[in-house]
Amino acid sequence: MREQLEKLKNITLQAIKESSSLEELQEIRINLLGRKGELTALMKGLGLLEPAERPIVGQLVNSVRDEIETALAAATESANQKLIARRLQSEQIDTSLPGRHPLKGTKHPVSLVIEEICSIFAGLGFAVAEGPEIEHDWYNFEALNFPPEHPARDMQDTFFVEKSLLLRTHTSPVQIRTMLKQKPPIRIIAPGTVYRCDSDATHSPMFHQIEGLMVDTKVTFGDLKGILTVFTNQLFGQKTGVRLRPSYFPFTEPSAEVDIACVICGGKGCRVCKNSGWLEILGAGMVDPEVYRHVQYDAENISGFAFGMGIERIAMLKYGISDMRLLFENDIRFLRQF
Amino acid sequence: MIVTYNWLKEFVNFSETPEELAELLTMLGLEVEGMEKFGADMDDVVVAVVEEKQQHPNADKLSVCRVNNGKEILNVVCGAQNFKQGDTVALAQVGAELPGNFKIKKSKIRGEESSGMLCSEKELGLADESSGIVVLAKDIAPLGTPVFEALALKDTIFEIGLTPNRSDCLSAIGIARDIAAKLNLKLTPPDIAIIEGADEVSSSISVTIESPDICPRYAARYISGCRIAPSPEWLVKRLNAIGIRSINNVVDITNLVMMELGQPLHAFDCEHLSGSRILVRTAKEGESFTTLDNQQRTLTSTDLVICDAERPVALAGIMGGLNSEIEKTTTSILLESAFFKPAAIRKTAKRLGLHTESSHRFERGVDIDGVIRAIDRAASLIVALAGGVLAKGCVDIYPGKSDRVAISFRPEKANELIGIELDNDNIIEILTRLECKVLPSINGAFLVTPPHYRIDIEREIDLIEEIARLNGYDKIPATMPIAKVISDRPTKHQQIEIQLRELLVNSGMAEIINFSFTAPEAAGKLLLSEDDQRRTTIKLANPLIDEQSVMRTSLLPGLLETVARNLNFRSLDLKLFEMRRIYLPVEGEDMPREPLWIAGAITGSRDGGGWSRPNEAVDFFDVKGIVETVLDTFKIGGVSWDTDLLEPYYHPGKACRIMAGRECIGSVGEIHPIVQKNFEIEKTVYCFELDFEKLVKLAKSKTTITAPSRFPDSSRDIAMLIPEELQVSKVIESIKAVKAKEIEQIQIFDVYRGKGVPEGQKSVAVHIRYRSFERTLTEEEISELHKKIITNLTDKLKVTLR
Repeated sequence: MREQLEKLKNITLQAIKESSSLEELQEIRINLLGRKGELTALMKGLGLLEPAERPIVGQLVNSVRDEIETALAAATESANQKLIARRLQSEQIDTSLPGRHPLKGTKHPVSLVIEEICSIFAGLGFAVAEGPEIEHDWYNFEALNFPPEHPARDMQDTFFVEKSLLLRTHTSPVQIRTMLKQKPPIRIIAPGTVYRCDSDATHSPMFHQIEGLMVDTKVTFGDLKGILTVFTNQLFGQKTGVRLRPSYFPFTEPSAEVDIACVICGGKGCRVCKNSGWLEILGAGMVDPEVYRHVQYDAENISGFAFGMGIERIAMLKYGISDMRLLFENDIRFLRQF
Repeated sequence: MIVTYNWLKEFVNFSETPEELAELLTMLGLEVEGMEKFGADMDDVVVAVVEEKQQHPNADKLSVCRVNNGKEILNVVCGAQNFKQGDTVALAQVGAELPGNFKIKKSKIRGEESSGMLCSEKELGLADESSGIVVLAKDIAPLGTPVFEALALKDTIFEIGLTPNRSDCLSAIGIARDIAAKLNLKLTPPDIAIIEGADEVSSSISVTIESPDICPRYAARYISGCRIAPSPEWLVKRLNAIGIRSINNVVDITNLVMMELGQPLHAFDCEHLSGSRILVRTAKEGESFTTLDNQQRTLTSTDLVICDAERPVALAGIMGGLNSEIEKTTTSILLESAFFKPAAIRKTAKRLGLHTESSHRFERGVDIDGVIRAIDRAASLIVALAGGVLAKGCVDIYPGKSDRVAISFRPEKANELIGIELDNDNIIEILTRLECKVLPSINGAFLVTPPHYRIDIEREIDLIEEIARLNGYDKIPATMPIAKVISDRPTKHQQIEIQLRELLVNSGMAEIINFSFTAPEAAGKLLLSEDDQRRTTIKLANPLIDEQSVMRTSLLPGLLETVARNLNFRSLDLKLFEMRRIYLPVEGEDMPREPLWIAGAITGSRDGGGWSRPNEAVDFFDVKGIVETVLDTFKIGGVSWDTDLLEPYYHPGKACRIMAGRECIGSVGEIHPIVQKNFEIEKTVYCFELDFEKLVKLAKSKTTITAPSRFPDSSRDIAMLIPEELQVSKVIESIKAVKAKEIEQIQIFDVYRGKGVPEGQKSVAVHIRYRSFERTLTEEEISELHKKIITNLTDKLKVTLR
C-alpha cells in the first residue's frame, strides 16, 4: 500500500509537471481526486486495513493528497498566467491610429471675448445690462449730448430706419436706459450689437461693443484709470502698459482714449500699432453733466465714469486676426480654431 | 488738420524733436495720426564745390568735374552748362536715392568715371521743371552738409486727427497755442502790418446782412490795383507741404491765412460784383447757383448766400461762385471774413454733399472775434505780394456781438472729480497759460473767462477737463473706487443664454454670427406665404447694399447662406448654430420687438467619418436629438411633436412643430428641396429653430430627485408589426397607459421595413425594463404585467406580434 501510494504520487507529480493546459490539469485532478479517482478509491480502501494500520496509512494518504493538490494549484496558477500572457500577446492593437472624438463645437470669437470681459467685470461687481438695437434718436444721440446738427454726429455714420428710429451706433444708449430705470449706485456692463454704415477691412457695418458705467458718490477720473488698468491687465496680461490721453466724446468730460502697450511688439513699434507702440482699445471718460440732466440725476452730488470698447478690435488683437470680415464670414475652418 | 514742424516753430520756440513733439501733441488730445519727414531721405545729397571743370574728351555736351564734398575729391560727369569752376552745387553721392526711385551708382560715362551727380531742382523734387543744375550761394553751409538742411527744407509734416470740439486747432496758430501753453513758452503770432491808402473803404464797397441769425458778423476790405500772379516760392511750398495746390497769389493767401489762423476767407473780383455791394441773405427756394467747381446747385430757403446787387456770388461759408472768382485779369478785390452759424452751414453742406476746408471750419465753429485779425493778415499779405492799394478801414457789420460770460469755477470740484490735489496757484497758472482770465469769486470759487477762440469752453466741467488735460492725464494716479456692495446676479434670461450656448457647443456645434440685416428676397426664398408675418420687415433708409437692407425676421436665411458658403469650400460636414435677435415690427408701436432666437443646421456625415466609424449621414433624428437635449437640460417636459401647420421651408414629411402644450416653441425638420435650391445648396440640410423667450419662460430650475431602487431589474422585449401610418409614439403611449410604476424604462431598439415585413407595415421592437422600488419582482408578477401591456397593444392598436 505504501509503495502503491508512493508510486501514484510520483506518477501524478510527473504528469502535472508535463501537463500543458488547464484541461489536462483538470483531468489529472478528476482521475486522482474525483469521485472515481484513484486516490479516492485508496481512501475508501482504508477500511479494509488493520485498525492499527489505519491511522498511519490514513496520514500517509492525506499527505500524498496535500502534496498533489499543492502541485496542482501551482501548476494551475502557472497555466493561467501563461494563458493571460498568450492572450495579451495576441491582442495587440495599433495605438497610432487616431481616437474617436466626441465632436467639438466652438463659440464664436465675439462671444468668447464678450464672456471674458463680462466675467472680469462681474468680479468687480458690474452687472450685465441690455438694450434694443433699433433705437430712438433720443437715446442714441440727444440724451448723450449729441444735439441735432452737431458735428460729433459725423463721428458715427448712422443707419436710419424711419421717423426717429435708427440702428444704434454704439452701446451707450444702454447707459441712458439704465439710469432712467434706476438710481445710483450703478455699476453695469452692457455688451451688444451696434451698426455703422461703413464697410472695409477694418470696418464692418455690424459689430459689437461693450459699454461700462459706474455712477456713485465721489467717483473720480483716477478711479476710471484704476478700473481700466485692472481690466486691461486681466484681459491682456499683468503689466500691460496702459495710457490715457485726452479725447472728446459728447457724453463724457473729461474724455480719454485708452491705449495699451502694443500686444504684438510689446511697445517697440510694429505694423499693427503703426510704429507708435500703442494700441487704441477704449474710449472713456467721466459722465458729462448734460447726460445727468437728461436722466434727471443731480450732477452736483454724484459722479461716475463710462467707457466703451469694440469687441472685434479686441478679438482681432487677442487672436491675431488681420481682416475683420473673417469674423462674419463664418467659415467653419476659421471658427473651428477657437 | 495738417501742419508742419517748421511752421509751428515760427510761432513757438520749442526744443522738442519732431518725435517728441508728436508725443506731446498726442498727449494733449491733438492726436498725431501720421508723420512724414520731408527731405530726411535726401541726406546723401550734399553741398559740394566744383574745383575743376573740363570738357569731356569724348562728348561735346558733357563736362568732367573734380568735385569736393569736404571729405574727398570726386570725378563727376555733368551735362549741364549753367555753372562754372568754383560754384557751390548739390552733389548726389553714390548711394543717394532721388525721387522716382533714381539710385545714384558709380558709373562710366563715355569712358570717363563718374562718382555722383550734380542735381537740378527737378531731380531733387523741388520743382516740376528746371533748366540746369542748382547753383547754391557760396558759403551757404560747410561742404558735405545735406543740401536740404542747408536750404532749410527739412521738415516734418504732422497729420493731426482733431476731435470735433477743438475747432480752435483747425489752424497752425491754434496748435502752436496748445504747445506754448503746455510747455509754458511764449507764442509769437504772425506779423500783421497794415498799410492803408487814403480812400475810405465805404466809398468803394458796402455790406448788408439780411440774416443776422445765421450771419452775426461780416467784415470786408477792398484792395484796388493789384496784380494777380503766381505765388512766390515760399508760399507755394508751404501750401504744398500741407496738401493745398497753389492757384495764384491772392487765392493762395486766403488759403494760407485760413490754415494759419483758422478763419476761412474769400476774395471776390470786385469788377464782377454788381453795385460793388454785398448782401447776405437766405436763398430763394429753388434758386440756382454755380459754384467755383463749375457745378450748378439748386438751393433751398435754409441755405445762406452772399449776393451782390443782383445775384448770389457765393454759397456762404462753403464755396465761392464761378461768376466772381479771382482771375488773371482781376485788379480790384473784395476780401471777405465772416462768421456763419455752424448748424446752418452743416445743413447746406450735407445736403449738397459739398465738404470744403471752409465748411469744415464753419461747421465746427470759428472764432467770431478773430474775424478782423484774419482779414488784416490777409490784406497785408495781398498788398505785399500782389501790390495794389488797401482802402482805408474795414467794413465790419457785427449785429451778433455778445460778451463772453465768465464761468464760476471751484478748484476743489476739479480736484475731486479728477482725483488729484493741485493747489489754487497751480490751477490759476494752468488756466492763465490757456489765456483764461481768472478772478476771485465767493466761497473760494473763481470767475474764469476763457479766451475768445476757445468756443468749446462754456461750463465748469469744460475748465476741469482743461486742468486735467494740461496738467497731464499721466499725472493722475490710478485708484480703485470706494463703492457700496451691490447684490446682483445674472438674470434667468442671461443664465440660460450662457448655458444654452455651452450646451450647443458641447453638442459639437460651431457658433456663427451673421449680419442682422438681410436681403428683402429672403422671405421669398424661404417660401413664406404672402400673408406671413415675417414678410413685414423693418427697412433701412440708407442701406449700404440691397442685400443688407432689411432687418431679419428669421435666422434661417443667414444660416442657410452660411451652409452654402461652407459647402462651396468643400467643408461638407457642418453643425452650425446661431443665437441672435430677430426684429419684428409691432403693430401700433414705435419700437419693434427684438426677441432672441436659436437656429441650427446640420449636414454631412454624423461624426466626421474616419477609420473607426460607419460613415453615416446625419438625418432628422440627429437634429431632433439636439433639440431634445436642450429641452431636457432646461427640464421642459410634456412636449409634443406636431406634424400639422408646418413651416413652408421644411420637407412636409420630415418635419414637425415643437409644442409645449398649445404653444409652439419652435420647429425642426429637413429643409424643403426647393428652399435648398433657392440657397444653392446641393446637400440635404436639417434645421431647427427655437424661440428663446418661450424657452426661458418654460425652463424649470427646480428638480425633484428620486432615490434609485436597490432591487434587481428584469427585462422583456416585444417585437411587433404595426401599420406604416401608426406613429411609434402611440405604441409608447399605449405601454405607458398601463400606468405600472414597475416599468422603469421603455426603449425602442429597432424599427425596420423591408424583407420579411409586409408592404405597408413596419417592424418595431421595444425593450421594457421592470423594477420595483419595494422588492424583487417575481417571474409571475413581471409576466402578468408584460401580458397586460401586450394585450393593450394588440387590442387597442391592432399591432401584430412577431
